[in-house]
Amino acid sequence: MTSCPRFAPLLGARPGELSSSEMRALEAHLATCERCRLAAADLAVTDGLVRDGLIQKANARDFAPFVDEVMARIAGAGPARHLPAVAPAARGLRAWLAGHRRAVATALAPVLAAAALIVYVRQQGQRPGQVAMLELASEGDVTMVLQTSDGPVVLLGEERT
Amino acid sequence: MSRRFLARAGAAAFLALAVLAGPVVASAGVPVGIRVIKGSRQGPAEVDPRLDDLKRQLSPLAYVRWELVRSEKLDLERGKTEFVPLPGGDSVGVTMQEQRGDVVTFEVSLTSRNTESRLTVEKGQRIVHQVTPEKGGEALFVTVQAWP
Repeated sequence: MTSCPRFAPLLGARPGELSSSEMRALEAHLATCERCRLAAADLAVTDGLVRDGLIQKANARDFAPFVDEVMARIAGAGPARHLPAVAPAARGLRAWLAGHRRAVATALAPVLAAAALIVYVRQQGQRPGQVAMLELASEGDVTMVLQTSDGPVVLLGEERT
Repeated sequence: MSRRFLARAGAAAFLALAVLAGPVVASAGVPVGIRVIKGSRQGPAEVDPRLDDLKRQLSPLAYVRWELVRSEKLDLERGKTEFVPLPGGDSVGVTMQEQRGDVVTFEVSLTSRNTESRLTVEKGQRIVHQVTPEKGGEALFVTVQAWP
């Protein structure tokens, strides 16, 4: 009876919390002390009630949507597993591009169009031959053009009266 | 995620367009120097110092005295006609018809004479166009030069 205060803290111990010597000492004390046996029984009942209550609470929660969400994510990441063995960065880029085809096409279309336009304009601008081209339309007057290396000189004829 | 990506892609495309298409947009107008000059048969042979660059082009003509009457610089847009006033109230219409690289085609129109000249020159060349008939041994000319 005088050793009860020593064993009281050990009564509610979980399996594995006590050393073998502590367990043996506790069992020896419980065998001789009825008061501590009753206290240990009360603790066991309380502990069981709490555990059952927690389990019931957990069972009341519906985990189905959470499971569906996880499975959907796993399925979405699936194709990446079938990619050929390439560098991680390249594989990631390819997977990203595959997942954003429309966005990539939307971004690239105007850029390619602008590049094509610039190539066209530059090709047109690099046409060889700079010979001055002259087209003259004059009503009733004779117009004369002198070709010089600095450019054409257009001379008007005499006005007819 | 997707909306943010589209916004980024749009911004990237806009920047690329701005960088790539910038030179094309910038080349829509061509800076043009237009001068009205007067040639005279009489008087001492003299060329206005401001017309020194024209000496070689003007030398074959019978006019010996040249002076600058008016000078202006314009930014000619394709197909848009700019009118240059002449002494006496008349005017000359100058239109850029086409520009490909360093080659540009101008149209010079003289409404008073129903005359239109379409002339193609390259960078560094200039057009010298008589715009009034000779009177009293004098005549007016217009010179047009792209990228003066």
